Amino acid sequence: MNLKKIFVIYKKEMLDLVRDRRTIITAFVLPIILYPLLMIGISSMMSRQEMKLEQQELVIYLNDTIHDETSRELIESLSQIETLQIMDEAIVYNEGTYLDLLQDKSIQALINIEDSLSSSGYRIFNITCFYDETSEKSSMAYRKIKDNLRDLEEVLISKRLEKIKINSEILNAVEIKKENIAPPEQMVGFVVGKFLPYLLIMLTISGASVIASDLIAGEKERGTLETILVSAARRDELVIGKYLTIITISIITVLLNLLSMYLSFRHIFMQTGTNIGDFQLPIGNFVLILLLMLPLITLFSAILLSISTYSRNIKEAQSYQMPLLFGAIMLSMVSFLPGFELNIGFALIPIVNFSLLMRDIMMNNFQLSYLFIVIGSTLVLDVITVYISIKLFHSENVLFRTAEEKSLKFWGKNKKDVLNIQFIMVYFVIMIIALYYIGGSWQLKDMMNGLIKTQLLIILLPVIMILRISKADIKKTLRLNYTNPINFLLVLIAALPLLLLSGILGQIINHIFPVSEAYLEILQNLITVQQEGLWFTIFVVGILPGVCEEVMFRGFILNALRKKGVWYGIILTAVLFGAFHLDPFRFLPATLLGIWLGYLAVKTNSLFVPVLAHFLQNSLAILITNYAENFSFIKLIIRDDEIAYWVVIPSVIILYFVVKGLSTLNPKTFATVEEQDLANGDKD
Amino acid sequence: MIIVNNLTKVFHQQNGEELYAVNDLSFTADKGEIVVLLGVNGAGKTTAMRMLSTVLQPTAGTATLEGYDLKKDPQNVRANLGFLSGDTGLYARLTARETITYFARLYDVPENKIDARINEMADLLDMHDFLDKKIDFLSTGMKQKVSIARSIIHDPPIMIFDEPTAGLDILTAKNIISFIHKCKEDGKCVLFSTHIMREAERIADKIVMIHQGKVLAQGSWENFKKDTGLHDLDDIFIHYVNNITKEDV
Repeated sequence: MNLKKIFVIYKKEMLDLVRDRRTIITAFVLPIILYPLLMIGISSMMSRQEMKLEQQELVIYLNDTIHDETSRELIESLSQIETLQIMDEAIVYNEGTYLDLLQDKSIQALINIEDSLSSSGYRIFNITCFYDETSEKSSMAYRKIKDNLRDLEEVLISKRLEKIKINSEILNAVEIKKENIAPPEQMVGFVVGKFLPYLLIMLTISGASVIASDLIAGEKERGTLETILVSAARRDELVIGKYLTIITISIITVLLNLLSMYLSFRHIFMQTGTNIGDFQLPIGNFVLILLLMLPLITLFSAILLSISTYSRNIKEAQSYQMPLLFGAIMLSMVSFLPGFELNIGFALIPIVNFSLLMRDIMMNNFQLSYLFIVIGSTLVLDVITVYISIKLFHSENVLFRTAEEKSLKFWGKNKKDVLNIQFIMVYFVIMIIALYYIGGSWQLKDMMNGLIKTQLLIILLPVIMILRISKADIKKTLRLNYTNPINFLLVLIAALPLLLLSGILGQIINHIFPVSEAYLEILQNLITVQQEGLWFTIFVVGILPGVCEEVMFRGFILNALRKKGVWYGIILTAVLFGAFHLDPFRFLPATLLGIWLGYLAVKTNSLFVPVLAHFLQNSLAILITNYAENFSFIKLIIRDDEIAYWVVIPSVIILYFVVKGLSTLNPKTFATVEEQDLANGDKD
Repeated sequence: MIIVNNLTKVFHQQNGEELYAVNDLSFTADKGEIVVLLGVNGAGKTTAMRMLSTVLQPTAGTATLEGYDLKKDPQNVRANLGFLSGDTGLYARLTARETITYFARLYDVPENKIDARINEMADLLDMHDFLDKKIDFLSTGMKQKVSIARSIIHDPPIMIFDEPTAGLDILTAKNIISFIHKCKEDGKCVLFSTHIMREAERIADKIVMIHQGKVLAQGSWENFKKDTGLHDLDDIFIHYVNNITKEDV
């Protein structure tokens, strides 16, 4: 790579962008005018609104059912409130009509005064205040009435105490005093730290996304890409030059945004007479955060660059940016959530780590080691993403992708076109939505019954229907083939080691991301024998998923995805299988299990083998959880609900031999149904 | 000089079939020679030219340009090459001068020679009037001149033109044709692709006819006439296409 060339490219891109009205507006002008307008507009509107509310006439109806001295005193007290206008006393208390008046906002509150006697014979005033929480005016009326009556209550109490000659000071048994020891900077940090990460992450992406889509996808669209590809510049130089451009513009955008935000805040504080000294941002921490933004900006720039390289035109790039934007927004919002503390696990999750670390920094309460982990892990991701961009930039398929290639052809005339990858993806998304909404609500109503319905109606039935409609050969597509019985024996041998390994993986994940006890209980419940009995539980949690999920994943989905390569199919199917569990903590174990099941399906060319393996996994988990005490050897392995780590070694050794056995037993694998037919001499 | 040896490009289509976009293409193009790749749309002309300009990787075979191998030394191949196509875009927000300067720097033209070189180009192509105007405000003809200047700023010994006149009006197209003649006079090796028979007939020293990725025939226009006994290039082309389809049967 030649640095001078990179600089030439960088300079040209900057010049080009600075002349672009769109860039100027979104990256520079918008932040400068947005905040002052927003803050000044909102604050002046709010204060005006509040003043208006304060001074507004509030009309209330009073319904006094007592008519004695005290109730008149009460009404007298209420009438002391300025701006509160009490309408003539209603003659009859009729809930329907007055509530209607309240609803159509002709009155703001309705007060009903009754009295009763307490068990020890004291008189209690029961005052009901009807108001409309969604109306600002009505809520204001309620607040004023409540405050007024609280004061009155105190007066009444002290009068009663006086009557029986007790000093009202007797009521002050405990006095609570609030003394906030947090210094003002920390208070500001606490407040600002919650929303600042979210804001900064948003700003970074929004600034970078516009130009990133223009830089490569835009060149494709305008037909200038080929001219620079044939120039003497190397492709990595082009990518890096453009990458630096995105980073520069992002930094400028973020700085401008922050500066503008700060100045608008200042302006408002000064206007409202708040002492700016009290609200001084902790400057040192602020600078640290700005420095921390650098790796984050480089990461976003790299991702946006990859998206831009992959896309055919600006529009496509922008639609690919949307999921990134949504994902980033959701992840960055963890700083709003209580109970999320930075730990080693979160420090490795992009965006979440920045969000939490920035919050901690703003509160002056962070660990240096996490700072290094966050920056280090981000830089690693950075390098990987830039590498991907350069790789993409070298890929002919990506640079010269044509339109017709991507057309969604679900139901082609050709039989083998029907179940293609696009179709599977759409199918999978629909299934996952159905699982979440329909299956979820079934299971909430009745766990076991819901699970049965989910497996049969959401997981199994659609597959069978699609296969029937597309007239595919069900037996061939799902690979319901005869296989050597020794394969089943090998799966049986592998079952326990696998379960232990996945249990250990689960343990490690739990250590890194501690989950709540309540959540663990739900999981535990799932594999605890219900009152219906052991065999019923094994049927619902073992046999049904073993059959239905295997038909869907290792039968139907894998069949479609493996056309692009066996391992591509196995891994992608496994990832979908992991995602299908709708649980981030179970994603990794489920995906790894999915790879094993996919491997079995491909190796033995029979769906029956993964069905058995899946059934064994689930059923063994039930058996061990419920009957561990009965087996002395399991007590050796599992103590205090923790699996001993030494079992990894024998488990891996056993698995190694099982895999070896499987490979010798089944030397041939078939990528597609056609290949399989050819091998069987079937000319169909 | 360009020496192409058995150049082949296979695309893997989504239906799993392989498409031979360029199939075993071989020819040579000498200094001061204009070689025309002639073929209908989809014959593989653009794919061949993209391989020669190192944008696409050949599946098999190779080529050397000025002695540099496509696969082993793509960097030097590009440095010795000017590339111009009919649909290449320009950066709308840069001026003509900025555009040409940018490419001069990418091609490692020494910084102190860039201005002189741009002046030379402006004299040659008569573009002094709009040198400092933004591309956005230029007419199609002016843009085409900027594209030409951009492609030749580093004075490459080889020029590749991929359907440069496609979609251009007759006056603009004429500019390009006269520029191609100028390249030949300067002793450059010119490779030119087109699907317009007349165009090929007019400027080619040598014609390489390709169809469905394969070479139908190559030689001079005079040779073709002699070999086929026909006088019209259209007829000659169809004659060769028919020949190859007969062979297939």
